[in-house]
Amino acid sequence: MKGIIKNKVAYLVFLLPALLFYLFAVFYPIIDSIRLSFVSWGGIGPQKYVGFDNYIRLFSDSVMWESFFNNLVYVVIVVSMQLLIGLLFAVLLTYMQKNVTIVKTLYYIPCIITTVAVGQMFRSMYATQPMGLFNIVLSALGLGDLVRSWLADVDTVLVAVSLPEGWRFTGMYMVIYYAALISIDTEVSEAAIIDGASKWKTLWKIKLPMIKPVILLTLTMCITGALRGFDIPYLLTNGGPGNASELMSTYMYKQAFSSLQFGYGSAIAVFIIVESIIAVIILRLVGRRGEK
Amino acid sequence: MKRLFLFAIISILMLMPVMAGGASEEESDVTTVTWFASRPLGGEIDTTMREIAERYSQEHGGKWVLEIETTADRPSYLQRLRTLIAGNNMPDIIDIDADPYCQSLVDAGLLVDVKQFLIDEGRYDDYQETALRYQEFTDGSMYTLPLEYHIEMIWYRKDIFAQYGLDVPQTMEEWLDVCKTLSENGITPIAVDGVDRWPVLRYMAMIPFRYSGNDYIIALRDGKASMGDPLGRQAIEFVQEIGQYFNEGFAATDYATAQSMFLNGQAAMYYIGDWEQNAMLEAYEAGLVDYFLLPTAPDGTTGANEYCANSGIGMAFNAETFDEKTKDFILYVIENYGEIYASKMQMSPLKVDLPEDVEFTDLYYRIAEDMDNFGPAFMKPWDTYLDSATNTIMQDNILLLASGDMSAEDFISLIDSSIAANANK
Repeated sequence: MKGIIKNKVAYLVFLLPALLFYLFAVFYPIIDSIRLSFVSWGGIGPQKYVGFDNYIRLFSDSVMWESFFNNLVYVVIVVSMQLLIGLLFAVLLTYMQKNVTIVKTLYYIPCIITTVAVGQMFRSMYATQPMGLFNIVLSALGLGDLVRSWLADVDTVLVAVSLPEGWRFTGMYMVIYYAALISIDTEVSEAAIIDGASKWKTLWKIKLPMIKPVILLTLTMCITGALRGFDIPYLLTNGGPGNASELMSTYMYKQAFSSLQFGYGSAIAVFIIVESIIAVIILRLVGRRGEK
Repeated sequence: MKRLFLFAIISILMLMPVMAGGASEEESDVTTVTWFASRPLGGEIDTTMREIAERYSQEHGGKWVLEIETTADRPSYLQRLRTLIAGNNMPDIIDIDADPYCQSLVDAGLLVDVKQFLIDEGRYDDYQETALRYQEFTDGSMYTLPLEYHIEMIWYRKDIFAQYGLDVPQTMEEWLDVCKTLSENGITPIAVDGVDRWPVLRYMAMIPFRYSGNDYIIALRDGKASMGDPLGRQAIEFVQEIGQYFNEGFAATDYATAQSMFLNGQAAMYYIGDWEQNAMLEAYEAGLVDYFLLPTAPDGTTGANEYCANSGIGMAFNAETFDEKTKDFILYVIENYGEIYASKMQMSPLKVDLPEDVEFTDLYYRIAEDMDNFGPAFMKPWDTYLDSATNTIMQDNILLLASGDMSAEDFISLIDSSIAANANK
């Protein structure tokens, strides 16, 4: 065993398949996107090199900026739902004595439902024709004035397409936080309680700081995931009505595959990559400063 | 050394599947033709074509096989098709509309001239004229073969119309008046599927068609007209006006929901083509629903027997792989398609004597009669004219225009700037 671990060739043999796959499936498309972002190409015929034209257009395209700000709202809603609610549920779970597994499983179920089914379900819930669940509940609560077709109203559609994504992965982050919370050495919190700390203080000053690395990791996963958010908004509204629920990635997809502007679509893709990298760098800086 | 050898072996083993993928297929004497199709699986066109291919294959001792790869969902189909073509992997037969993208394929020499083929083979007159003309480009050339033929109409609830003493509208003005009366009485005038966008786009085409045939949209596409021209503005105003009478939340209403709203009596009218005649049949025979054709404009240039007709997405052939064998098969299709397709209660793009062993419904005969009376002009959907980028913008924003969330000026500037940037590219 020791021999194999020390052997560099063996390392390489085991790492190579994954590395090759990664290079082929992730790295190559990124490099090719960067190359395509400098050309003008409709999918047929020769590609025309246009320098930075696509990037110049990107920064002056009002729909692109609308998508960018929509995307920020989407990130805020998705991240706060997934992480805050996930964390809240995880903390509550640690106080449960019985049936923890059942509750965990139930909350985890949305993660394993296919996206199309989630989309269809929320589409029905938001509808007025026939009356969907949201509107039925609102009417029952005497809030009939709020009843509307949530996906057709330009003022509500962005929030409406963000909620399903947040709802869907809350359970997953709950499981991650729960695992982190129960792995904390109980002696630490017991010592704090003996010293007279309240449960609230123990949670706030001891438990949460101890799982900070996990929180930072999930924050990174969640933010980069939400910056690339695509499927549910695309399925529910295709970015519409107008561009009211357009996100960066739905706009990129439309430009590349509906409008057949592969060059401009690639420039948006590169923008999304850069934006995600910047987000990760900021998070790491924040994390490091906290350590000091 | 031994380990290095092991490493080399494993590396080769891993690469083998990759290399095998690139190797040519096994030689065999069976000819396989691939049809990359976008027709509802199990629908009448699909089953008719499979039946014909099966029969043809049997007649050729199984040495000929048609492989059909279907993606019914149109946007995903188009995305896959464009990706295949961008990667130089165009299938032998594809489905495509005669739109600017198709034109670019023609310009690149990728498609067979179907009009020439039909004329050479003496088959041009076997088709309904409108069905073929729908497939033509503006210059009269034609690269796609129709497999269906439809007219579009406005279905209405006779019970609701009777209740409010409404007559079938003859003019566009009257149509809006009918909508107004219904709306004032708390009835949803029109059920609309906004999710698919094209049904809303039809309303945009109506006024320009009534006053100019398809001339306005052709000029708009070519950058010779503006969306802000008087006719364009009239079209926008009409969409804004009739948009108020669409069902609430139409932007998020899908095809099936819109149709069932109408059939359940929750909306008084519904615009759809004869391809839904089977869905309408029960209510039609019960005297609950009926249809009227696109109302006219009193001082317009097109008549009551001219409205939206289409022969659907066409079939196009890869110029590189279109050999004698494929030609022979296509001729076989033309020979047999009309009768088999019509026997499934469908409107055939080929002229055909209706089979006597099939009992056609009154509704079928009525639609067939309207088709026979069809005038020389027909309204061609705007999405077949506009370039892909403008189409996307138009379809995205027309929902806002119809729901009153976008001003005419904004819409005009969006469309005009997109056409300026993308037309003739």
